[in-house]
Amino acid sequence: MSKVKPGMPKTLKAPANAPSISRRLTGGPPAFGYAAVAPTLLIVVAIAGLPLLYSLYLSFNSINPITKRWIFVGADNYTSILSGSEFWVSFARTAYFAVFTVAGTTIFGMIIALVLNERFIGRGLLRSVVLVPWAMAPVAVGVLWSFIYAGNFGFLNGLLHDLGMGSSATPWLGNGFRALNLVALTHVWNQTPLTALLLLSALQSIPGNLYRAAILDGAGPVRRFFSVTLPWLKSTLLFVMIIATINALMAFDILLIMTRGGPGTATTLLAWLGYLESFQFLRFGQGAATLYVLTITSLALAVLYFFVLGPTRSRRRVAAGPQAASYMRDMEAEWTASAAKRYTMATLPPFTPRRVLKAATTARLTNIILLATAVLIFLWSALPVAALVLMSLSPAADLIRTPPTIFPSAITLDNFTSVLTAEGGTSSAYARRVPLALTNSLVVGVVVSIINVALGTLAGYAFARYDRYRFFNVSLWALLLTRMIPALTLILPFFIIFRSIGLLDTRVALIIAYSSILLPLCTWMMKSTFEGVPESLDRAALIDGCTRTAMIWKVLRPVVRPGIIAALIFCFLVSWNEFLFALILTATPNSQTIPVIMSGFLIQAQFYEYGPLFATSVLSILPPVAIAFFFQRYLVQGALSGAVKG
Amino acid sequence: MVAISITNLCKNYRETEVLKDLSLSIADGEFISFLGPSGCGKSTLLYCIAGLEQINNGSIRFNDQEISDLSPRERNIALVFQDYALYPHMYVRDNIAFPLRQQRVNEATVQRQVDWAAEVLGLEGLLDRLPSDLSGGQRQRVAVGRAIVRNPSVLLMDEPLSNLDASLRVKMRTEIRRLQRELKITVIFVTHDQEEAMVLSDRIAVMKDGVVQQFAPPMTVYKDPANLFVAGFIGSPQMNFLPASRVARAEDDNAILGIRPHDLQPANGREDGMLLTGELSLVEPAGPIHFLDVMVGDQLVKATCADPTGLPLGGRMTLHAPQDAVHRFDADSGVRANAAMKSEANTDLSISQAQIPKRSGP
Repeated sequence: MSKVKPGMPKTLKAPANAPSISRRLTGGPPAFGYAAVAPTLLIVVAIAGLPLLYSLYLSFNSINPITKRWIFVGADNYTSILSGSEFWVSFARTAYFAVFTVAGTTIFGMIIALVLNERFIGRGLLRSVVLVPWAMAPVAVGVLWSFIYAGNFGFLNGLLHDLGMGSSATPWLGNGFRALNLVALTHVWNQTPLTALLLLSALQSIPGNLYRAAILDGAGPVRRFFSVTLPWLKSTLLFVMIIATINALMAFDILLIMTRGGPGTATTLLAWLGYLESFQFLRFGQGAATLYVLTITSLALAVLYFFVLGPTRSRRRVAAGPQAASYMRDMEAEWTASAAKRYTMATLPPFTPRRVLKAATTARLTNIILLATAVLIFLWSALPVAALVLMSLSPAADLIRTPPTIFPSAITLDNFTSVLTAEGGTSSAYARRVPLALTNSLVVGVVVSIINVALGTLAGYAFARYDRYRFFNVSLWALLLTRMIPALTLILPFFIIFRSIGLLDTRVALIIAYSSILLPLCTWMMKSTFEGVPESLDRAALIDGCTRTAMIWKVLRPVVRPGIIAALIFCFLVSWNEFLFALILTATPNSQTIPVIMSGFLIQAQFYEYGPLFATSVLSILPPVAIAFFFQRYLVQGALSGAVKG
Repeated sequence: MVAISITNLCKNYRETEVLKDLSLSIADGEFISFLGPSGCGKSTLLYCIAGLEQINNGSIRFNDQEISDLSPRERNIALVFQDYALYPHMYVRDNIAFPLRQQRVNEATVQRQVDWAAEVLGLEGLLDRLPSDLSGGQRQRVAVGRAIVRNPSVLLMDEPLSNLDASLRVKMRTEIRRLQRELKITVIFVTHDQEEAMVLSDRIAVMKDGVVQQFAPPMTVYKDPANLFVAGFIGSPQMNFLPASRVARAEDDNAILGIRPHDLQPANGREDGMLLTGELSLVEPAGPIHFLDVMVGDQLVKATCADPTGLPLGGRMTLHAPQDAVHRFDADSGVRANAAMKSEANTDLSISQAQIPKRSGP
């Protein structure tokens, strides 16, 4: 601190030993701030910004996959996809899917949040259970539901047979429109917990006195919901709906597992179309263009999101400022001044209490409705997962009985031994890869979490403390914007770049790819955490003789520990569940992660291998479920500050 | 507008007794304060009257009608909350109109009544604003407007002034009192600020640990506190408490004597009442008067005087209190033994130097 930093604008010639003068006059943040965000910003530019530009460039070229010749074609790719009916049909389908899932997650999420906001026995347990569908990997969700809906031996058909309604059994995903709806419903099942969490935290911020005031003013439960709750949730509702829309646009994993765009093209959404173009038909240029259209749609929604959320702090009908303040003072003085009476008290009709049920009856009725809804929510969240566990414990032959039934003939661990031990006696190539895949997932998850949380903590601190400076403000929002980029858009550049430098099919490739999602997310999460720490703590530490780094390490680190744990858990989960990057960037057991194995399993599996597949699925959801139960608080905190897992 | 009678009210939260067998009668049109330290149950009692809390035992009657099993909506009461609890998305006009609309009053009457309330409270210019555009005092007035607009049987106020700054608070409390007189409405006002309670109320219920310690007009509470707690809680600075054995000659007297600092002044030769001699350790100017800290034996006593000139710091001085300003309390029960005190008025309470343990000088 004894040297004038070079490159800083100097407005005064400062003595050599008084650098703070120039700093004070320029009013800039300390170099420490820039140093703290530099690694994060550079990495994000390198692994998200550049690939994005590369992908843009790609979309203006026509590439011959065999000769590898690039021809610049300008906007031709765009005009060709935009003039094709296939694009517009799948665009419409995507819109339908988005509307369905946004409405579904919002309504179900609202119901769940309202119930979880009440007090009842078992609420803590229910809060954990509700998280499970969202914590488990979308691939596992897809595996689970595709078997539930499966044609001959599916769980749903088995249930129908057991209930004596075998005649209505049908291949549920066979009909195009029904398949689209069922896939959307599965997406809703997977995404609703996130919406519920966000709404729940908004509900908890409603002052209790507002409800008390409404009760005293004579408002019943329904009136209170519409007059107090809904208006209060307005901005959160818009936020969750936009998040849900973006997640719907990017929906891919579940689609790939359940329907692969079919039957026919009935479930071909834009993301799937872009995937097909790029990796099935190897039309990189057109694929990139399709995905860019998706990105732009997504960014447009992001802009909408900023407009909706940015100005909430200063949403005022009357211009604030010194003028308004003095006006308020005038008004304050005016009260006693008005002497001439123009109005007299109206004669009110005599108070007649509206007929309401007896207090005790109301309480009992409310309780019954509440508990019934809680039970329904429990079944909705837990039953499918329980079915998965049950199937994994059934002998493999049970799953293909005719007529199908959901009752296992025996309970066995055979499926688990067959995928976990070398001598398990399985013939499937994929089953043998399970132990290695679990290791890969674990290693990648741990490394990714540590790197990203370390960098994100440092950057998050600087963003939290210097957010009034333009540089920090702008780069922070730029970081958040990367969240609006569908991973599919980045994957093509990653694939091409990693192939040329020989990183394909390595864990390093996955770590780099995951950081492109997680680094902005961690930074954002840690920034929110640091914002909750009073700045006076920093000042006290600095005055007590800490350097900036010592301050962060010795004073702030213990304070923000819960935030760090939340970020670690969140990173690990995202990495553990990630599928798309892993699918494209890995090829051999050296680096394949567990979701890749599951999907490969599903595609290749013979009917007698469903048992091991379900065992694998159960293994893959164990860490997320354990986290949902034992680290619920951290997971919720992570979800709220990150607010945006894909 | 009703009279309220509360009898044998009990309220528990799980194992904790918050209100213990509490009885109170409030006349129609009275302004009552519940005063006490935080956690004394005053807000809980208010919420029980409002119906926001269910009572475990006892009864609450409005004009002889039992209301404790009615829901809040059926009691026709209004409550002004400490944080005002204005509906943030509604304009001031709609906030005030909300209770009337819930009663299905016709819209023309609603508008007339809102205009009336706005005029009474000086809110005419603010009707088309959102609560977030108002200052603290304005929000407070809107909250009062919403409460009075429907002419409630009783107006409850839960520390409504504590979020305002000091000067505004003084102004608002005058206005609240004026409004109450004008509307002739029964008001129950919860506060932990004794000055507020004194200025506003017809009667004050001083509460501690869920029990009403004294329920009396403000000056009675001040002049004739029922027990040690009330004596210590009311009045600032706090009343001086001295063991009677120290002051009087009777060694076995285990009463406690209480003297307000304002009644304890330099003796200047007087010998009629109670005399205390000690060492002056601090003089604090407080505008019209000065506060004196005097060490009497090993006990610090606060006294007042108009003019401290000539009082040397560290010097010995004698303080005087008129006989009828000395309150006498039973040391075990804390109950005031006022009558006994007065009958002993002729006893010589002055103390000789010898009885006070010498304090090692500086």
